[in-house]
Amino acid sequence: MFAHIFLYRFKCLIRDRQLVFWTLVFPILLGTFFYMAFFNLNNDETFHPIDAAVVNNHAYQHDAQFKFVIEHISKGKKRLFNLKVASTQKEADSWLKTNKVKGYFTNGETLRLTVQESGLEQSIMKRFADQYRTDSSAIKSIAKENPKALQNGLLSDLGKQQSYVKEISGGSAKPNNVLNYFYSLIAMACLYGSFWGMKEVTDIQADVSARAARVNIAPVHKLKAFIAGSMAALLILFSEILVLLAYLHFGLSIDFGPRTGYVVLTALLGSMLGVSFGAFISALVKKGEGLKVAILLVISMVGSFLSGMMFLNMKYIIAQYVPLLSWVNPVNLLTDAFYALYYYDSLHRYTLNMTMMVFFILLFCGGTYLIVRRRKYASL
Amino acid sequence: MIIHVKNLVKRYGDLVALDHLSLDIKEGEIFGLLGPNGSGKSTAINCILSLLNYDKGDVEIFGKKMTPDAYDLKRDIGIVMQNVAVFDELTVYENIDYFCGLYVRDRAERKRLVEEAVAFVELDQFRKFYPKKLSGGLLRRLNIACGIAHKPKLIILDEPTVAVDPQSRNKILEGIERLNAQGATIVYTSHYMEEVEQICSRIVIMDKGRIIASGTQEELKAMITLGEKITVEAFSIEEEQLHQLRELTGIVSVDHMDNRLVIKSDKGNNNLETVLEFLKSHQIGFGRIYSEMPTLNDVFLEITGKQLRD
Ligand SMILES: Nc1ncnc2c1ncn2[C@@H]1O[C@H](COP(=O)(O)OP(=O)(O)OP(=O)(O)O)[C@@H](O)[C@H]1O
Ligand SMILES: [Mg+2]
Repeated sequence: MFAHIFLYRFKCLIRDRQLVFWTLVFPILLGTFFYMAFFNLNNDETFHPIDAAVVNNHAYQHDAQFKFVIEHISKGKKRLFNLKVASTQKEADSWLKTNKVKGYFTNGETLRLTVQESGLEQSIMKRFADQYRTDSSAIKSIAKENPKALQNGLLSDLGKQQSYVKEISGGSAKPNNVLNYFYSLIAMACLYGSFWGMKEVTDIQADVSARAARVNIAPVHKLKAFIAGSMAALLILFSEILVLLAYLHFGLSIDFGPRTGYVVLTALLGSMLGVSFGAFISALVKKGEGLKVAILLVISMVGSFLSGMMFLNMKYIIAQYVPLLSWVNPVNLLTDAFYALYYYDSLHRYTLNMTMMVFFILLFCGGTYLIVRRRKYASL
Repeated sequence: MIIHVKNLVKRYGDLVALDHLSLDIKEGEIFGLLGPNGSGKSTAINCILSLLNYDKGDVEIFGKKMTPDAYDLKRDIGIVMQNVAVFDELTVYENIDYFCGLYVRDRAERKRLVEEAVAFVELDQFRKFYPKKLSGGLLRRLNIACGIAHKPKLIILDEPTVAVDPQSRNKILEGIERLNAQGATIVYTSHYMEEVEQICSRIVIMDKGRIIASGTQEELKAMITLGEKITVEAFSIEEEQLHQLRELTGIVSVDHMDNRLVIKSDKGNNNLETVLEFLKSHQIGFGRIYSEMPTLNDVFLEITGKQLRD
């Protein structure tokens, strides 16, 4: 009986195209949109190597290390620079003035960069110079001890155009902060999953739908039928969230840190939160499908907004001025759990978030139970 | 007794939807619950099924108290709701299979029953259709199949023919008679008196949550003073003659409108003959003439003073 109901509920849910759209396709589209917005995907695809020069002075000629690095990244199809070698500083300057190059490097005590204006290309050049300065001592010592290693990939990091383009074009937000948008996107998707919970309640409460009345009249324990259906809803939502995670991670290279097991656990708890939240709200608000949908949508959207999905600083503003709100906002709990998992080695903050979520899940499930267990209705 | 209801009272706030309703439904009958919109038919059914809670009264089905978890009773009951209650996401076959599966565990048995139900409502060529793609009549037939696939001993149908074309309606009514012939007890609610007259062996007429009359068709019609209704196409008749006609024994009322003479008589046997003789002897020319027996509508009209169908 349980299997029978589970199977048919699964069919009913998965064939609801609108719900599948809002809980799976929409978050994926939104994620792709975020990705394009934050990482300038278009720029990335049509990336043109930057016209840059290096002054062929004494320091340059004798710094085999730097010579190797800059030549290395100015080679090949995915090169970062179209490198020209200026015989004197003067020549480099004139190139810069006539806009033949966007900037030039001068090697000396440290690596210097000269640019005329600021822009994406100049920023990338600066990032490169900074990165080289930081890494150069390490590179030097490695090169001394194990010159092979240098060619086998150590340099590739330094020279990857994509990593520069991504980091720079993220705008004012630091790369780690951009992640928060994606984490809150997942949280939003989990909360959109509340519609699955709502559907389950609609189809089990006889005072909400005639279909449910028919199930109520059958010789089946109502709670058993409801649990079977909710399991189907949870399975679907959890799978959707896993698909979304996989897409973000493998398709858009969003980093979730190395603790995959915890990430999956968070997704599971998020799914439970979504389903139970939807079930609770729609059990509580008896009549009016429109009203229920509105409540679920508003809470999901406002929750996402407050956790920084549209405007990152919102999250910090809330955390600073109304900390309580960030602890009762389920979207924020989820977002923050992913964030804490990525950002901190200690699981302290993560555990705190997860505990709050468990508390909410228990609250929603308990509330739903108290309402759904009633088997006779005052009116239909 | 298949269903025994005693002094059922159900209130919605101030509105008394069921006012000390008592019913006894015997095995093997087609029991008709007739009443105008809002008379409390659906409320009565839902209280009997323990779906609605009620303020007072007892409900027994198959001789046992009916409660939400009286599963042994529920297993033998089939319900066809007034509102079509099927899942839009499931096909015709799947819908029937889903509901049948709530009653029947054995797979092979279930498959056989579902196939039978599909054939019974003649939806074989639509088995892969989703409800959205079915016409109103076909949808009603699916609604019925979902309620009866598990071969219940008691079948309750709440206005199963609302918004159905006459052809589909006849199919449905025939089907119900067949189910009854196969041994099921039927409870049938409707506000169409023709349907109830056509199939029900015993009828209860409800109004405002109360039973106003019950019995077989003949018994109900015997309850009222009205006998047959005679309609005559008469083109010219004088006021004086109408007056004389009214004086005749057995004649209750006479109306003349639009060249039609409507004569209502009491239960005597020779009313038509009396009228014919009167017309001939007064040399009143007439065209067609026909006589109707009273309908349940007349019964309702005489008891409540209003039409059954508004
Ligand atoms: N949920 C409710 N809340 C308040 N009043 C209700 C409710 N449901 C029904 N009623 C009232 O109870 C009375 C009986 O309604 P019910 O639906 O049982 O009538 P019915 O005989 O089935 O009518 P119909 O032929 O239209 O189906 C009506 O006056 C109706 O307005
Ligand atoms: Mg009704």
